Amino acid sequence: MDKNFQEEFTQITRFKPPLYKQRHQFVKDLVEKYKPKKVADLGCADCSLLRMLKFCSCIEVLAGLDICANVMKEKMHTLSPLPVDYLQPSERSLTVTLHHGSVAHKDPCMLGFDLVTCIELIEHLEEPELKKFPEVVFGFMAPSIVVISTPNSEFNPLLPGVMLYRHPDHKFEWNQAQFQSWALETARCYDYSVEFTGVGHPPTGMEKAGFCTQIAVFIRKYPQTGEPLQSEKPTEAVYKTVFKAVYPSLKDEKYLQNAVISEVIFTAQIIKHRLMSKHEEYGNDPERKFKFQPSMDCFSDYLGKLVVENNMEPFVSGNEVYVPLATIFSFPKVNRLCGTFEKLCKLIAGKVTLSSDGSAVVFNIEHE
Amino acid sequence: MTGRARARGRPPRQAPALLGVGDAPQQPQQPQQQPQQKPQQLQQVHVPPPQSEEPGGHGRLRGFESVLPEKRPEGLQVSSGLQDLSLRDRGGRRRDFHDLGVNTRQAMVHVQESKTGFSGRMVKLTTNHFRLTSRPQWALYQYHVGYSPEMEARRLRSALLFQHEEHIGKTHAFDGSILFLPKKLENKVTELFSRTRNGEDVKITVTLTNELPPTSPTCLQFYNIIFRRLLKMLNLQQIGRNYYNPSDPVSIPNHRLMVWLGFTSSILQYEDNIMLCADVSHKVLRGETVLDTMHSLHSQVGEERFRDTCAKELIGLIVLTRYNNRTYRIDDIDWDNSPKGTFRKSDGSEISFVEYYRKQYNIEISDWMQPVLISQMKRKRGNIQGSVALIPELCSLTGLTDKMRNDFNMMKDLAIHTRLPPEQRQREIGRLLNYIQKDDNVQKELRNWGLSFDYKSVSFTGRVVQGEKIFQSGNMFDYNPQFADWTKETRGVPLIRAVPVDSWLLIYTRRNYDVANTLLQSLFRVTPSMGIRMNKPSMIEVDDRTEAYLRVLQQRVTPETNIVFCILSSSRKDKYDAIKKYLCTDCPIPSQCVLARTLSKPQTIMTVATKIALQMNCKMGGELWSVEIPLKQVMIVGIDCYHDTVSGKQSIAGFVASLNQTVTRWFSRCVVQSRGQELVDGIKACLQTALRNWSKWNKCLPSRIFVYRDGVGDGQLNTLVNYEVPQFLDCLKSIGTDYSPRLTVIVVKKRVGARFFAEIGGGLKNPPPGTVVDTVVTRPEWYDFFIVSQTVKNGCVAPTHYNVIYDTSQLKPDHVQRLTYKLCHMYYNWSGIIRVPAPCQYAHKLAFLVGQSIHREPNLMLSDRLYYL
Repeated sequence: MDKNFQEEFTQITRFKPPLYKQRHQFVKDLVEKYKPKKVADLGCADCSLLRMLKFCSCIEVLAGLDICANVMKEKMHTLSPLPVDYLQPSERSLTVTLHHGSVAHKDPCMLGFDLVTCIELIEHLEEPELKKFPEVVFGFMAPSIVVISTPNSEFNPLLPGVMLYRHPDHKFEWNQAQFQSWALETARCYDYSVEFTGVGHPPTGMEKAGFCTQIAVFIRKYPQTGEPLQSEKPTEAVYKTVFKAVYPSLKDEKYLQNAVISEVIFTAQIIKHRLMSKHEEYGNDPERKFKFQPSMDCFSDYLGKLVVENNMEPFVSGNEVYVPLATIFSFPKVNRLCGTFEKLCKLIAGKVTLSSDGSAVVFNIEHE
Repeated sequence: MTGRARARGRPPRQAPALLGVGDAPQQPQQPQQQPQQKPQQLQQVHVPPPQSEEPGGHGRLRGFESVLPEKRPEGLQVSSGLQDLSLRDRGGRRRDFHDLGVNTRQAMVHVQESKTGFSGRMVKLTTNHFRLTSRPQWALYQYHVGYSPEMEARRLRSALLFQHEEHIGKTHAFDGSILFLPKKLENKVTELFSRTRNGEDVKITVTLTNELPPTSPTCLQFYNIIFRRLLKMLNLQQIGRNYYNPSDPVSIPNHRLMVWLGFTSSILQYEDNIMLCADVSHKVLRGETVLDTMHSLHSQVGEERFRDTCAKELIGLIVLTRYNNRTYRIDDIDWDNSPKGTFRKSDGSEISFVEYYRKQYNIEISDWMQPVLISQMKRKRGNIQGSVALIPELCSLTGLTDKMRNDFNMMKDLAIHTRLPPEQRQREIGRLLNYIQKDDNVQKELRNWGLSFDYKSVSFTGRVVQGEKIFQSGNMFDYNPQFADWTKETRGVPLIRAVPVDSWLLIYTRRNYDVANTLLQSLFRVTPSMGIRMNKPSMIEVDDRTEAYLRVLQQRVTPETNIVFCILSSSRKDKYDAIKKYLCTDCPIPSQCVLARTLSKPQTIMTVATKIALQMNCKMGGELWSVEIPLKQVMIVGIDCYHDTVSGKQSIAGFVASLNQTVTRWFSRCVVQSRGQELVDGIKACLQTALRNWSKWNKCLPSRIFVYRDGVGDGQLNTLVNYEVPQFLDCLKSIGTDYSPRLTVIVVKKRVGARFFAEIGGGLKNPPPGTVVDTVVTRPEWYDFFIVSQTVKNGCVAPTHYNVIYDTSQLKPDHVQRLTYKLCHMYYNWSGIIRVPAPCQYAHKLAFLVGQSIHREPNLMLSDRLYYL
């Protein structure tokens, strides 16, 4: 089901950017507009749309469903977190799941979504599947928004080499009237509003043919159904999960703790260096002094202000340097990560060497 | 301990070898159906890296039309090349890392029967190799797939073929024209019919072209790809060539480092079996972006030196990006560009980096003033020589900088996590195999291909050859084999050849006056017992400026000066470089630079002074100790390379050849070559002068020549065998028609995946120095062996691999092994056994000094001394 590819192969001369990109962009714009948290792509094929959507920062749950497990598996690893996602965990959480199953079947894992996209999907459905499709998507899943795209058969004469359908697997291709009446009927039946648009403009003079790809955007008219209502629809899980990736996120205590510890020690060390270089200035090593010469960065200014205002000065005692936690906490990055001072203390407890009263980070400088 | 101690420069990735596995004899001619490549349009320089997932997104943005015939998916792929067949995984770069198909043993008659040695005592060894047990008569079936009418696009070809999975099966690998299957189809030729979406009927002809036995190079590469696919299935992350486990990182917040544990794996045909060699690998990653690093550099060095420092620190490092799963090498920093700069997209439109990343990845670049990093695309196929631009804010650094390597505390903290002792290392490898064994999907994949592993590592016996006797001025010493060191034993014993220090300069800054005096007193105390006669030096005080040092050198060095001694107050490289450059080229005098700090500790000053005295003696042409070399009229050559990553992009080959019977004096030269130049031409000249010098010293030409060639990258063996060795022979021929010495060329490799563990007292220990392995884990097509010559205090000892690629010596393997081990005793900067034969280490030292500090060939007046130590 290599639909993106095959279409672009002949239409490349016609559409710029290629039509599949325009469809993806359409979905992306929709996501930007409505900021859904949970998005499902039905008929996700090689996951190219999901791959694009994972960069949308509003999305926290991303699911894909396809009838063919192999086509999903081929590239599903590109949906895994990148090394950098582990190195710098993001604020938002993100879970990407791929299911193997049919849109003619109900599975509870598809409940609670804000946006469901069916891009170039329905024309691949056999008659019985197509019949069940509205009930599954609009009746059962019942997301706030549904996007459905499908080829517009009126455009086919304008495409070179298209005999009957644009793809051998297409079971039908509708004209604008057919699609719209199906969509309007579905919307009426499940209490959605629907608007029609498309991508791939017809050439001048042929406007009547309509868009190459016709798109319907359905918006649910009734408010969000609460949890109880969903549990009224008990169904057994019929989809098979073929892939699941949980992205590292600062919402996860483990990653948050690592990030905080790393930031605390790093900040404390910068403060320590400043302090030590101040001491060293009286020393006799010209090179060292040069090395730590305060530069024009805002850091030293900031530190200076802090020390003056709040009397949270780091100090040296014997072989140890004390950097007050309060000073560290006042740094924006640490502050943003922890939120409260109590949280900071809790997160670093036992992981960072503190003074006996727990108010400062301690470094031993004996061996330096 | 002295001023020269610097981190070893990291060589860049070596250029790939010329050939893949094409010379596998059992490959029939492939009907070449590779869709023809259209000329590249829009070869855009400085484009941002594209999404790897997109069509055409293979390292560069290009004209869309031109992309289709060539695009390949990530992951498994099998591709037909021009004459050769090679398999690739990620990156699609044609490389033969394991030098498969280079069969050098067949040309050496005397090792056809056996290449094993016999001396020494037996030791029971375990290794990190695991036997591959495939089905009986397991074979891989290779099919050619043809389309009628001809289909151009690879993906279309795949789509059409895979409509027939009921015929070809679910387990397959297809690159567009070659199909690999684990089972044989019913007929030799199968015809299938598909229909395109245009309703066009296509006949697909699947023809059996080859049955690959499990040992064929293609099959082996195929195993490797499948194994890597398994690692991916285990949710390990690929970084560079290896796979790492991201879910359980070790973080070292003190240095903002993170260490990921991972695995290197390779499946190869070894002596009797195909085996998986698995080793633990650690990836050091940094929890900060390149931009963060730039900021902290700025605050450390200030505006003035900022750009230079950035270049020095960052160029050559590998970065990861926030938006794709690729690694890039930083080749340059474009300070005139910024995220506001624009580039031309494949469709011809201009877009700024800011806009591009916003649109493509929803990433907001916050600092619009940062420079842009440049990474060269190394792909040579299709004449692509573009580069990509990277935004520092979106890149994370991997690995260590030279500065970090020099940071003792950091390396100490790292070593705790990365230097695993034998038992622990073996446990970690066991964990990987356990994952593989436990994972259902992985097991299924293995079953589909009919592969299985022994989950117990291979055990066998190795030999520990006897320790060498150290000779020094009529005295003979044994050393404790456990430490492989004879510092204590030889202390206070006269050297073989002590060069008197009659006239020398001692240069220091005012602050180091006391240090200079302490050093002098210590030297006077330690030198007499060594037999070194030392006069008082000219003590010269200088300002702590480079020019001041140079002026003193210009004014005070005379033809009588034996050596110049400089006490440096800091490890600033420019001063050291300037001094070395002047004294190695313009005014060829041996020199010794020492950091004042090294001399400042009273408790160690005597040890330090001893080592300095020895080093000075070597630099002036002295000799310290020797081992017994039974061969007569032998010249031993060592070659190593240094690749300058920062300035000049030069490569330097160090060439060192012995001059005397006892192999205690060396002739040293180097070849400085710019990028793209062939190394071997220079080496030929070196060999000629070395022979001339040898004959001057010995009044005849050597009858045997041993070349130890270090600095050979993975996949370069073929070039070496087919190009470099013939040049050596040519060179020898050119000396005279009646001159035909016996030549042995041995490739020395320090970075190997094999690890050996001695089973001692029920536990696993590092094997003792002198352990030789020449069975089981060596390669049948090579005359190769491993020697563990050095000892390590912590972690696992790495064996050195020796591959004799050319040998007319007629010596028994045992003798070649013994000679090699003997030469590991002859490095005068370390009174112990080292990891490689001394000439290789000398060559490395020389190349490193030239590459780091001098940048041109040193004066040949110095060539008979170890002035670079």
